Amino acid sequence: MNTKTFLLSALLSTSLVACTNLDEEVFSNIVAGNFYKSKQEVTAAALRPYTHIGASMFSWGGQRNFWRLNELTADQLALPQKGTNWYNGGEFIRLHYHTWTPDELSIQNPWDLLYRGVGFCNNVLSELKGVNPQKIGMTTAELDAIKAEVRVLRAFCHLKLMDLFGNIPIATEIGVPSIPASPRKDVVAFIEKEVKEAVEQLPVLNDGNIGRMTKAGAYAVLAELYLNAETWTGTQRWDDCIAACNKILNGEVGGQNGVAKLENNLTSMFSTKNDKSPEVLFSIAYNFAVTNYRFQWNNDLWHYNQKDFYNANQSGNNGVVVAPDAYDQFKDNDLRKSTWMLIGPQYKFGTTTPVVGTQEYKGKPLVFVKEIRRNSEGKTVSDMTQGEENSGARFNKYVPGQYTDGDYWSNDLVIYRMAEIYFDKAEAIMRKNGNQATPEAVELINTTRKRAFKPEDWATEAYTVGTLTMDELLAERGREFIFEGKRRTDLVRFNKFAEGSWWDHKPTATTKKVFPIPATQIAANPNLHQNEGY
Amino acid sequence: MHLFVSAQENNALKLKISVKENSSLTDLLQQVEHQTSYRFLYDPSELKKNCKLPIAGSYTFTLSQLLSNLGLSYLVDGVQVILKPAVVNKDPGVLSDTLLPLQLLNEVFVIGYGTIQSNYVSSSISKINSQQFHKGSVISPLEMIRGKVAGLSITRVGGNNNPNQVSTVQLRGVTTLSSYDASNQPLIVIDGVPGASLDLIQQDDISSFDVLKDGAAAAIYGTRASPGVILITTKKGRPDSTLLEYSSYISTDQLRKRPEVLSAEDYRRRMLDPHNSRRGIMIDYGATEDYYSQLVNKQNLTHYHYLSASGGTEKNLYRAALYYNSRQGIAKENGNNQYGGRLGLQQKNKDNKIGLQINLAANIKEINLNGGNLEDFEQALQQNPTQPVKDADGEYFYTSGTGYYNPIARLNQEQRSATIQTLAGDVKGTYQLLPHLEAAVTGAFFKRNRTEHNYISKNAKNSIDNYKGGGFEEQSSLIDQTQTLEATLNYKLEKDKQYLNAITGYAYQRNVSTSFSIGNSGFMGDGLPWINIGSGTDLALGKGDMKSNKTANKLVAFFGRLNYVYADKYIAAVTLRKEGSSRFGTNHKWGMFPAFSFAWNISNESFIQEFSFIDVLKIRAGYGITGNQAIPEYQSLITLGTGGAYLNNGIWFQTYGPNKNPNVDLRWEKKKELNWGLDFVLFSNKLSGNLDIYNRTTIDLLANYSTQVPTLITPTIYTNVGSIKNKGVELTLHFNAVRKPDFSWNIDFIGSAQRNKLTKLSDDLFKATYFQYGSLPAPGSLGYAIRAEEGEALGSFYGKRFAGFTNDGKWLFYKADGSKGTAAEMSTNDLTYIGNGIPKYMLSLGSEWKYKQWEFRLFFRSKLKYQILNLPNLYYANKKMLGNNILSAAYSKYQSLNDDPQYSDYYLEKGDFLKLDNVTCAYNFRTRNKLIRAVKCYCSIDNIATLTSYSGLDPETEDTGLTTGIDTRGGYPPTRTITIGVNLSF
Repeated sequence: MNTKTFLLSALLSTSLVACTNLDEEVFSNIVAGNFYKSKQEVTAAALRPYTHIGASMFSWGGQRNFWRLNELTADQLALPQKGTNWYNGGEFIRLHYHTWTPDELSIQNPWDLLYRGVGFCNNVLSELKGVNPQKIGMTTAELDAIKAEVRVLRAFCHLKLMDLFGNIPIATEIGVPSIPASPRKDVVAFIEKEVKEAVEQLPVLNDGNIGRMTKAGAYAVLAELYLNAETWTGTQRWDDCIAACNKILNGEVGGQNGVAKLENNLTSMFSTKNDKSPEVLFSIAYNFAVTNYRFQWNNDLWHYNQKDFYNANQSGNNGVVVAPDAYDQFKDNDLRKSTWMLIGPQYKFGTTTPVVGTQEYKGKPLVFVKEIRRNSEGKTVSDMTQGEENSGARFNKYVPGQYTDGDYWSNDLVIYRMAEIYFDKAEAIMRKNGNQATPEAVELINTTRKRAFKPEDWATEAYTVGTLTMDELLAERGREFIFEGKRRTDLVRFNKFAEGSWWDHKPTATTKKVFPIPATQIAANPNLHQNEGY
Repeated sequence: MHLFVSAQENNALKLKISVKENSSLTDLLQQVEHQTSYRFLYDPSELKKNCKLPIAGSYTFTLSQLLSNLGLSYLVDGVQVILKPAVVNKDPGVLSDTLLPLQLLNEVFVIGYGTIQSNYVSSSISKINSQQFHKGSVISPLEMIRGKVAGLSITRVGGNNNPNQVSTVQLRGVTTLSSYDASNQPLIVIDGVPGASLDLIQQDDISSFDVLKDGAAAAIYGTRASPGVILITTKKGRPDSTLLEYSSYISTDQLRKRPEVLSAEDYRRRMLDPHNSRRGIMIDYGATEDYYSQLVNKQNLTHYHYLSASGGTEKNLYRAALYYNSRQGIAKENGNNQYGGRLGLQQKNKDNKIGLQINLAANIKEINLNGGNLEDFEQALQQNPTQPVKDADGEYFYTSGTGYYNPIARLNQEQRSATIQTLAGDVKGTYQLLPHLEAAVTGAFFKRNRTEHNYISKNAKNSIDNYKGGGFEEQSSLIDQTQTLEATLNYKLEKDKQYLNAITGYAYQRNVSTSFSIGNSGFMGDGLPWINIGSGTDLALGKGDMKSNKTANKLVAFFGRLNYVYADKYIAAVTLRKEGSSRFGTNHKWGMFPAFSFAWNISNESFIQEFSFIDVLKIRAGYGITGNQAIPEYQSLITLGTGGAYLNNGIWFQTYGPNKNPNVDLRWEKKKELNWGLDFVLFSNKLSGNLDIYNRTTIDLLANYSTQVPTLITPTIYTNVGSIKNKGVELTLHFNAVRKPDFSWNIDFIGSAQRNKLTKLSDDLFKATYFQYGSLPAPGSLGYAIRAEEGEALGSFYGKRFAGFTNDGKWLFYKADGSKGTAAEMSTNDLTYIGNGIPKYMLSLGSEWKYKQWEFRLFFRSKLKYQILNLPNLYYANKKMLGNNILSAAYSKYQSLNDDPQYSDYYLEKGDFLKLDNVTCAYNFRTRNKLIRAVKCYCSIDNIATLTSYSGLDPETEDTGLTTGIDTRGGYPPTRTITIGVNLSF
């Protein structure tokens, strides 16, 4: 072999044996096939839906989420334009006046986020099918409990989706193309079946499973499902609702820090220590110091300088405020008015130094006023375009503690709490009773209401069978659960959502009771059809 | 493309040549080198065969006379003269005094894995040689050819000359929806190494740019070739020519225009105006400040020094260069210093069969990123002019604004700097296997390490707002590495009337990117800079920040090309590249990129000879498919990402879940392009030019599309859907208006027209609605300005239509049904297409005069038929923004408006402009000095004047990519650059 031939063949062989391996090299992500191999990995996967639900469906971190759709379209809260701020393409104005269209990101994103929650659940359930519990040091019961927990979470996401959008696809697997929407009654039946099957395998709530879906959370889901069943399916389920509530009220579901019960004050269940509050039935757990994650209510709900009220270190965007007449729904002696909302001059934490404004009241003391109008320009018109920096009462339900506190901003996000069960049961009783109160219903509501008044005021503030009308029940429910993401659902159930007037909002069409299917989904899935009226 | 030798400097200069009995060609040429600025490049062995020296004696004649008499023709490349044996060989004994016609020479085009002479080219390629380069201060070497290649857009947004910002580059319009990794920017190839960094190249390193424009030309680089390919050839050493060169310039930027805001006096007067509804919230702090001017560094100075040594023999050639460049922008704390070098060696063995080429390049760039940011200039515009920069105690003055801060304080209380170290090397070995067959193997490495350090001092507003006054320090690093291996076999045969060149090869490239960052706050110490990240307390409190990430991708290709020419008339080229990318789905990793092109050199046909005014006439047709893989890694894999920690029985677990929808069918985006071309040279080289017409369709557009949720997990998926069509015409003309011994005048015209349309955005599986770009920020968050939808042109503005003002100055817009309504009454159905921000026409005109030793150049550039969204006026020429400062236009042009900012066609303005881009004047000193061979001095001014009806600072908005035509709210100050430079050779 001469040199030429040698070199030629060397070159050719270089080409032939040359690397053609094009497999991806992964360094910073976990590839699915290598996961679910230990108890720790299975747990890490099973917990994923919780952080998603916490971070993007209810946490008010500036996300267009379920919470925004269920509150900013209703009668208590609004996100008005404040001068040059917060026009945002008219998004919040349209939510308030119910003039939304299927193109809105404010509608598309909650759909996407809730179904992403469903997707995470389906992913866990599908991956766990292949896991042999013995091989990873788990018992079959432990693994079944995880599956049960994830199924209830999936049902919960479907419940919220069905509430918003009406007929929706039921998704139990990943990657099945173009599934059509199921009628609402089928979705309700699916949720009921899933929760009822799973609830028996779930543990009771105790201090070892805080933040997890347990019997307490599952029965709360059922209570909500049955309470709204008439709205969603046309079929009344009052007795089922009462039965689900009784499971919780009778102490059969456990509780945080003992057996679940009402707090006797208005702050413990929302505080940085609310993981010890027996009122909480289902929450998303947070610990800012340990995880650097927190329940972000500041973005949407805080004034720019609101952190100074608490000696906190997170900024707000001066977004959501309380509508003037919703604020007036609270009597002045109602402690919930002064505890859960802020009005008037504001001071830096622990001082009498006024917090100053940054926009219309730049350099001047910040004084929140009830009205939504341009006082700085001497105007008296009050509507969604006329807000300014200090308009409307503000959020104070969750309070983060001081920056220097050890449990600073470790408040858990409460999704279901005991008070709601009292309200659900009372409402079911009243509806069953021809929309009339009964002593039992009055007793239930008064139990939750009593802590909102000083003892000396209570005698005049307690409800009686005569005073607890359905309208009053809705109003009281609003006062108790203001800011908690439940208002639109309640208004729809009381036929006040499309039919009602509040502040500058006029009645709209009954088709507005459900949102349109997002335009992106109508385009992507040929088997989805737009809701009536859109 | 210039097929002919142009009339060059010193053409008429009388040279004194003395020929002795034993003189060699080299002796003669050295005499010319000493008397002119020319440097000769030739292969002595080749020339010896043809060259006859004159008989001994002393002569006086011009360069062209000498070379004609020697039987040589020449091609001028800057001051470098490439000598070739001419067809005609004169009798060496007779010296003619008449100016002989210059010989036609063919330029050599670089086409990827080889070269080809220009008359054999059958696709659309533009070559720009160093003598055509823009002279003066450039930030990126590509700016030297701005406006000189038809269809190539090189844009500095707003006419900025920010030394830390690179130009955006795009060829023949936007062809993809993917904006990942600058996927609209052409592939850069330096000396044959694809994917190279422009950081490694200085303006004096470059000998030429070859731009592969159409699909047929670019397909040899299959994968990343859809946006076009720019091949950069560096200068090399020349045999028998030992050369030392030094080039240097100093330049300074002058403020050309600034935003007109209310002065402190105006502001106070407005406070007294009873009709001003905002007067109640305006505050007079008592000072008189001009914040904008305090951000400007009027004394900015840039200087550049480049030293090179080159030379060698027939067997080995070298060129080594070192440089230092310090750049300062018009903004304070805004500049960089860079130094580095480039070394090129070429060596052949005894029998010239084995060759080795080695290139090494290094660059160290220290960047001050603190100043020059757009946010500071936007703040300067908004600062209350009565508010002092510092209070009476000498502390920076802060007010309680949201989205409002004292930019002078920020500039002085924060630090942001980066160092980029780039190192690259390549080695190419060649072996002549057979007389016509050469094998080559190239190996190359590239490493770029960018480290950044940021510090916010304790008393800065940012620190007080976000870190409880504890300061904040951040360190980060990003390392990019590339390894390349290529092997080729090249067969070349010229026989009778036939020319054949076949090449086949293999290419492998692996890119690895590693990033790391840490951040901490809660410091006791303070200082500028503070570098002691561990001393902060917040990391321990869970408030610090730590990240690292690593990704890798691979490309593997097999390719081949065949060029065939018959009788200098019929030309054909066929290319095929099969390429695989690790980024795609298992069954779709490989793509096939074929191309073919044909040309007919009509001027070489006998029937054309009677048309004596035609020198060259060639028609071309080419078709080629190229690819795009510009998407993130791992999109076809099911990967799990972190989801935040969650509680499990008292312990916080990091959670994991799928972080995207995998797409196992992810495949190449492909662009199919048909190109028709015409090359011509007429009237004895008086007029030459090219015309190209193209039609390109990109299919299987890669993008992150909305998809079905349920049952997929995330609402988007990277997939291939839809198509974009681009059509265009490009014309290049070169006119030798005057060509006399001591005076010449050349005119260059470049023009292009371009249209695009997003023709499809759906397929059987996916139906996308639309994409939105250009989010209009707070205050107000007015939504997206641009929408891309099936059937519409890309770059289209989408929004409300202005219908007038109410009597009290409130906005009225048209609703879809034609009625009018207020902003609050507008729904998404009332929005429509209202304009387009991509220029339809790009034109440039260069004119060059040479008189004796003088050179004078003018260069005009123009972009036509597009709209600009005047964002500064939309937000800040509005009385409702008072409290903060506003643009004076609020009280002139926008006097009737009395409402909060709204986005509509009201703020769309015609963008058309004509810029006098550059004026250069140069003088070539005649030197008889033995030491110095040539001296050239020049003065150059950039961005001299702009003719436009646009009311903003500069009409040159972004015109590449998908977010186009939106003026920046806080633009970098537009400047004029004045440069004085010198080139010396020894």
